Amino acid sequence: MTLDKAESGKTYEVESVDLPIGLHIRLEALGMTKGTDIDVTETKEHGTVIMKLRGTRFAVGKGISSHISVKEVAVHEH
Amino acid sequence: MNIDAENERNVKAAAGQPDVTAEAKAAAGQPDMTAEAEAASESLRSKAEAGEPADFAAAADKEEDAAVHEKEETGTYKKTLTIAFAGNPNCGKTTLFNDYTGANLKVANWPGVSVEKKEGAMKYHDDTFKLVDLPGTYSLTAYTMEETVSRNFILSDEVDLIIDIADASALERNLYLTLQLIELGKPVILALNMMDIVEKRGMEIDFHRLPEMLGIPCIPISARTKKGLNILMHAAAHHADSSEKQSPLIHQHTHNKESQSHHQHHHHQQYVMVYSDEIEDKIDAVSVKLKELYPSLTNYRWHAIKELEKDTEIAEKYPLDLPDVIDRSYEDDIITQKYDFIEEVIDECLVNKDTKEAATDRADRILTNRWLGLPIFLLIMAGVFVLTFAVGNAMKGGLEYLLDLFSNAVRSGLASAGAASPVISLLCDGIIAGVGGILTFLPNIFVLFLALAFLEDSGYMSRVAYVMDGVMGRLGLSGKAFIPMILGFGCTVPAIMASRALATRKDRFRTMLITPFFSCSAKLPIYVLFSGMFFPKFAGLAAFSLYAAGFLLGLLVAFLAKLFDKEPYENDLLIELPEYKRPSSHTIFIYVWEKVKDYLTRAGTIIFIASIVMWFILNFGPSGFVGSSMENSFGSLAGKAIVPVFVPLGLGYWQIVVALIAGISAKEVVVSSCAVLFGISNVQSAAGMSKMVTDLSAMGFGPLNAYCLMVFCLLYVPCIAAMATIRRESGSRKYTAFVIVFQLAIAWVVTFIIFQVGRIL
Repeated sequence: MTLDKAESGKTYEVESVDLPIGLHIRLEALGMTKGTDIDVTETKEHGTVIMKLRGTRFAVGKGISSHISVKEVAVHEH
Repeated sequence: MNIDAENERNVKAAAGQPDVTAEAKAAAGQPDMTAEAEAASESLRSKAEAGEPADFAAAADKEEDAAVHEKEETGTYKKTLTIAFAGNPNCGKTTLFNDYTGANLKVANWPGVSVEKKEGAMKYHDDTFKLVDLPGTYSLTAYTMEETVSRNFILSDEVDLIIDIADASALERNLYLTLQLIELGKPVILALNMMDIVEKRGMEIDFHRLPEMLGIPCIPISARTKKGLNILMHAAAHHADSSEKQSPLIHQHTHNKESQSHHQHHHHQQYVMVYSDEIEDKIDAVSVKLKELYPSLTNYRWHAIKELEKDTEIAEKYPLDLPDVIDRSYEDDIITQKYDFIEEVIDECLVNKDTKEAATDRADRILTNRWLGLPIFLLIMAGVFVLTFAVGNAMKGGLEYLLDLFSNAVRSGLASAGAASPVISLLCDGIIAGVGGILTFLPNIFVLFLALAFLEDSGYMSRVAYVMDGVMGRLGLSGKAFIPMILGFGCTVPAIMASRALATRKDRFRTMLITPFFSCSAKLPIYVLFSGMFFPKFAGLAAFSLYAAGFLLGLLVAFLAKLFDKEPYENDLLIELPEYKRPSSHTIFIYVWEKVKDYLTRAGTIIFIASIVMWFILNFGPSGFVGSSMENSFGSLAGKAIVPVFVPLGLGYWQIVVALIAGISAKEVVVSSCAVLFGISNVQSAAGMSKMVTDLSAMGFGPLNAYCLMVFCLLYVPCIAAMATIRRESGSRKYTAFVIVFQLAIAWVVTFIIFQVGRIL
């Protein structure tokens, strides 16, 4: 699945990013590397999401989120 | 270029007079000052690129407490260090810079604000440190302009030391830039900022292990509460000195399986960041080739890494022919391995992470909620405007009283001193009426900017980008484009500058086209005055309807632009949502003070001059001094020539036409001109207003005409300073001309419709 279809409150693992190189590298520099866990905290219609990536929140539009393949991670209780 | 002049400028900038005032000056109609400041940073940049040594010649002040220094003789002090402040956006870099230099740079709690580097100076014991605040960046790639600029500046000989400011509460992401900075090969100190937040959240950082793993000094600080600042500079003074580099302690890269490494080099004793064997082999091979081809290079390792990343800038500057080694871009691997190492560092050095849920998460659950977010935002904005009008109106009585006293005292004083009547008229009816009238709106302006400062500094502003993203998406813009628009309610000039943060040129151009429709604070006096005069019972509502009209029209224009655009819209919103924080009183003070100062400056310069000019063209005509018979003045003759264009808009009065033309210099001038035109010393007072209403009504100018006037003012071209900013930011004369023609056309058409429809009703 892609990130724009994520549900809020769930954790996902990044599988691959399919974006133009500049944007791809920008995301990687923010820590979105393969295998990184991201927590989706808020979602909106149109696929814009708020995610927590390595401790920092970002709002990401559909043009980006729909190009990020993720898989859901089983939530481990604290 | 004149080198001396350049140096002078650089020193001026370094002496704690950074170009933040450029914004204010531009707003005051002196856009050339901004150009000068830009030229200064441009010259620094080129110097940085050329690798010229620092020409900073400032020395310390005699006074102990003065943090801002004037240019003096050098040589009396032991050391002049140039320290670059680098860090992610929102890491508190600018706050720290202000702490040290005493400068008053604007701090913004949303990314993309400090796009230019700012300089300041400070004294540390007997040493003078020159501090350079670089734009906040997440990394140092060659993909964006500011990252390239920062990188080249750091690499230049000018920089002795880098202080990397990291938000300790988001250490994991901040360390990425740290690793990149360390690789540049200059001495780096890591300042871990926001330690107060870290402690509050129950996190702990192992300050013994962290410097061991990173091989650089790590100093905990809090720029906001000014803790650890001395220790940081102490570290800076010593770390820049030490010729022998502190080598990182050996650590095990788990992903590397170091124990099985076949690698012949002892990289782990030399470098902090050691990559996989495959990449290290390639780095070695590329380094050898670089040494052979470009013997004058320094830091081969960094250049080799950049070659492997296929970094456009480095690859062009130092072309290599190594197709076997550089068979693809290794950027992906290099970034991933850096983050792998960062994870190790975090695992070892960060204790108790995420023990408490951040307050930000709780606040965001409501403020960015998919159903509540938008209504809350609209409520907040409505609250801002209600406050602006209510508080402003409550305070204006006192100011009016003072202004009346002053004007009467000047008038009677001059009369008893035997001054000629044109002189009295110039002072009282021209200058005091024009400038003083504008000053009575200061409380409104103050409250508006105070509210905007709260929104920005609390961290809410970037949430607005998310909240408005859905609406903006339908208009073909990302939510980020909404930030300049909100700032436009304050002043169009910084709002247009803020459109830089947008990703594409198309987005920027569209945003610049729409931003002037978001009614700026200079138009506020027009609304307050004319709705107060003609809609006394519904003044607030009338003024609010104009804000709403501008807002909706702006969105409509965006929508039309999207309809004509053939390319499909891709929502590329990507914005950090910083932690919410209690707004700092210092930051708010600086922000509001800058704006108030700007407003006062404008009243003292452009509005002052405009008032005098207006007085002259209204009191003199082809036959000389015309006094009270303004009908024969130059202003009247000029206005009458253009009146036919404005008749269909209900604005066919030469006085109004003259005021509108004068208003292009600054929007407040419409009001100050009216004061001069109608000979009213205090436009906001009850007596002044009723005289103006009587005069206007006698001319046949009623409530409908007043509303049309306000609509026209809302929509027609922004002030000269805003237009100059559009010209500079777009870099296109054609586009600027288009914006001007477009705004004039919209203003004419909309006002025409309102007047004609209103007449029928």
